[in-house]
Amino acid sequence: MWPTWMNMLGWWQWAILLAVPPAIISLYFLKLRRRPVEVPSTYLWSRSIEDLHVNSIWQRLRRNLLLLLQLLLLLLLIVALLRPAWRGEQLIGHRLVFLIDNSASMKATDERPNRLERAKRRALALVDEMRSGDVGMVISFADTARIEQMRTGDRAALGRAIRAIKPTDRSTSLVEALQVAAAQADPRQIAQAAEEENTTAVDSLPATAYILSDGGFGPVSESTLGNLRPVYIPIGRSSPANVAILTFAVRRHESQEDYLRALARLKNFSPKKVDVEVTLRLDGKLKDADRVAIEPGQTRRIAFDLGEVDSGVLRLSVAASDCFAVDDEAWVAVNPVRPAEVLLVTPGNQPLELALTTRSAAKLAHVVVEPTSFLKTQQYATAAAGGADDLIIYDRCRPTTMPQANTLFIGNVPPGEGWSRGEPVAAPRIIDTDPTHPMMQWLAMDDVVLREGRPIGVPPGGDILIDSDAGPMLVIAPRETFQDAATGFLLVEEEEGGQVGRTTWPIRPSFPMFVLNTLGYLGGGVQEPGHRSARPGHPITLEAATGGSISVVHPDGQATRLEAVRAGRRRFSATEQLGVYEVRSGGRTVSRFAVNLFDPRESDLAPRGALDMGAEKIAGRSGWEAARREIWRPLLLLGLFVLIVEWYIYNQRVSM
Amino acid sequence: MSTTSTLLSPELLARLEKMELLSRKIFRGRMKGERRSRRKGQSVEFADFRNYVPGDDLRFVDWNTYARLERLFLKLFLEEEDLHFYALLDASASMDFGEPTKLRYAQQLAAALGFVGLVRGDRVKIETLGQAAAARSSVFRGRRSMWRLFDHIESFVPGETVSLAQGVKNFCLRNSGKGIVVLIGDLMDKAGYEPALRYLLAQQMDVYVVQVLSAEEIDPELVGDLRLVDCEDGDQADVTVSAPLMKRYKQTLAAFVESARDFCTRRGMVYLLVRNEVPLEEMITDYLAQRGLIR
Repeated sequence: MWPTWMNMLGWWQWAILLAVPPAIISLYFLKLRRRPVEVPSTYLWSRSIEDLHVNSIWQRLRRNLLLLLQLLLLLLLIVALLRPAWRGEQLIGHRLVFLIDNSASMKATDERPNRLERAKRRALALVDEMRSGDVGMVISFADTARIEQMRTGDRAALGRAIRAIKPTDRSTSLVEALQVAAAQADPRQIAQAAEEENTTAVDSLPATAYILSDGGFGPVSESTLGNLRPVYIPIGRSSPANVAILTFAVRRHESQEDYLRALARLKNFSPKKVDVEVTLRLDGKLKDADRVAIEPGQTRRIAFDLGEVDSGVLRLSVAASDCFAVDDEAWVAVNPVRPAEVLLVTPGNQPLELALTTRSAAKLAHVVVEPTSFLKTQQYATAAAGGADDLIIYDRCRPTTMPQANTLFIGNVPPGEGWSRGEPVAAPRIIDTDPTHPMMQWLAMDDVVLREGRPIGVPPGGDILIDSDAGPMLVIAPRETFQDAATGFLLVEEEEGGQVGRTTWPIRPSFPMFVLNTLGYLGGGVQEPGHRSARPGHPITLEAATGGSISVVHPDGQATRLEAVRAGRRRFSATEQLGVYEVRSGGRTVSRFAVNLFDPRESDLAPRGALDMGAEKIAGRSGWEAARREIWRPLLLLGLFVLIVEWYIYNQRVSM
Repeated sequence: MSTTSTLLSPELLARLEKMELLSRKIFRGRMKGERRSRRKGQSVEFADFRNYVPGDDLRFVDWNTYARLERLFLKLFLEEEDLHFYALLDASASMDFGEPTKLRYAQQLAAALGFVGLVRGDRVKIETLGQAAAARSSVFRGRRSMWRLFDHIESFVPGETVSLAQGVKNFCLRNSGKGIVVLIGDLMDKAGYEPALRYLLAQQMDVYVVQVLSAEEIDPELVGDLRLVDCEDGDQADVTVSAPLMKRYKQTLAAFVESARDFCTRRGMVYLLVRNEVPLEEMITDYLAQRGLIR
């Protein structure tokens, strides 16, 4: 950083000042005028001088040294008169919170070595500016916040905490970080904490939150700020080049069930058009490659036909020379197809049983049909509580307690809270379906006629899959890690003379399709081979048929042991690394899942110039107070020192 | 001839009357005097016997021995002769420094020593270095010559330009006699004092070297940037007086004095350094008496 100067003198004063060095030099060229003194004899003097003349070069140097010292002194005075100063940064307030973004986008290398290091350096510089009595706190945040250093006046501790911050692959959310910081800044909370710690309470000064981030997060409501005064320090250069993989998934081929298809979506965040090579590898071996040109700001979809793939790890990589490598790779784990265990409890349902025994359905699921009396057996109780089945279909019956499995209730609702049924309505008309839901894909329901239906009350978090003019007819809702679906209409009904159809659906082509979708979706991960994917840092539920412990091998080879939490399901949350994780049980790989970034906000590297804080927009650096750090005092002290040295040398000087 | 002199005070003269010059050597004198001589002669002090040879003065035959041994022996007596005392003064311009001037001090010293010599009947010769080789100088002998001697000494004026070596050489050419010689000067000759002293040494005289230095030379009170001008040859030395230089000067002076003392001692000469501020009486009664020139 270059110093800024301030002129203190007028032109004629400068002229006088600048005339001094030539005057000094010319004085040195003029011989010293000596006073003649007559002495009895110069004999001894000459001899004394001769002794000192032995090192006359040193004498000459010493004389020149005096000249140089005088010139140096003058130079220092001139520079001091120019009042050089560095623009320092003055911190605002005495309570400081350093919020340092360590999300995935901070790994971008547009700043050297990367944005996080840059942010850390800026934060360290700010810590250096802290005056005595200032207290600081360090919080690192991605989608969660972490207090790296509690409030302290120890600058060394703050520096250590800042230096210790590690980058993550997570997405960004400032809300939690601000909440943590605001909690610390809130004097009431601090006072409470002080009481608890039996220390003296602190006064209620607002804190300044220095947010060192690239701003890749959503709007933050103003109320989150509390007593905080935010200062946003944007990190990152404007318009860095980046091409990101936004999605990557594997689907079954529409026409050929055995064939898989890899679908990916790429986006160009660069201001220029890019031409990138995309390669797809299966278990490390090159499977396919493509070259894609993407206009700036545009998205391109690409698809690769994979053929028959039983299992393996697909890795898609974009050979883009951009400054953000995290989003240039994506993984999909194709797990071997495991038929779902499906239990159908029914007093007898011919169309459904028929649909469950098609060739396609047989591939997806192993179906066991039991009568309703089976619900009362011990065998059912054990199987339901132990999670032995992936899906239990209750046709015109319902259990007393919900099983550890996905469920589909036909003509009934689950016995849990939130579920309710209305009065029967004759001939409700289907008016809408949700084609985006996996269970309702490719279904044409307009030719389906219902004879009677009871609208279903949607529980919290539930989705309406089939809506009618009388109310929801098919609803799905989550329960812990399971999904429960319920229909408000019956498929068949027992009457005298056998089963009578209550809807035209079983004879429509959409019915077997619906059954297949249900087996795929509720049966558990067989339909979409690549659906096992998680966001970094987010937990994932792992299923394993066997009880006991399983281990998860991370992409870097590290392994984590997991004990069964409940019914063979396990929550795994150590998904910090991007890549493919292997679930191992009994020494062999049971399944794999992938952790991918897939966050357009992280991939959009352009730093935000201002933070959106509700009604208020906080511009970057708006809170900086420029402080002029003048150095004329040390310069004058140095000049005084030079003067003393010169005087000393002059007195040591002997003769020409 | 004046009968007053400022050279020596009457009190000092009174003290000097009781003194005599001493020589560490026994020289042959020129005339009868009060000094024992190498020559055998007519004193009361018996020296030796020797066989009579025809032509010897019968007055010295020891008749008592002849009566006993019937052989003729001659009785020999020690001769008592006068002593030659020379004082050689440096009257160059450099001697015109100090208070009193070094020359004045040298004159007083020469006068005092010369007076002692006169009192004891010695031959006294006081000369300056600038005296030409051929020029004869007067010899003083006997108390009567005191005022003449003083006048002679008073006539010396500073400003002679002859070098120390040349002056001493001329002196040696003029005076071949043996005796005591006292060289009084500052020895500050750029060619060195050694050749001059060697000339004196070659004369086989009893040499005393008295170096007179002024207080300005021993403790110069100089300050500032100066151009030192030699009063004799006009030689210049530019100095900036500083503590190290003064230290160096004093070291040089001490080394010079020490080398002169060493030079003299090794060659049987007596060296004496005198400041012009030392009172003459103290100088004679203490310094010279200690060195054995005077008793």
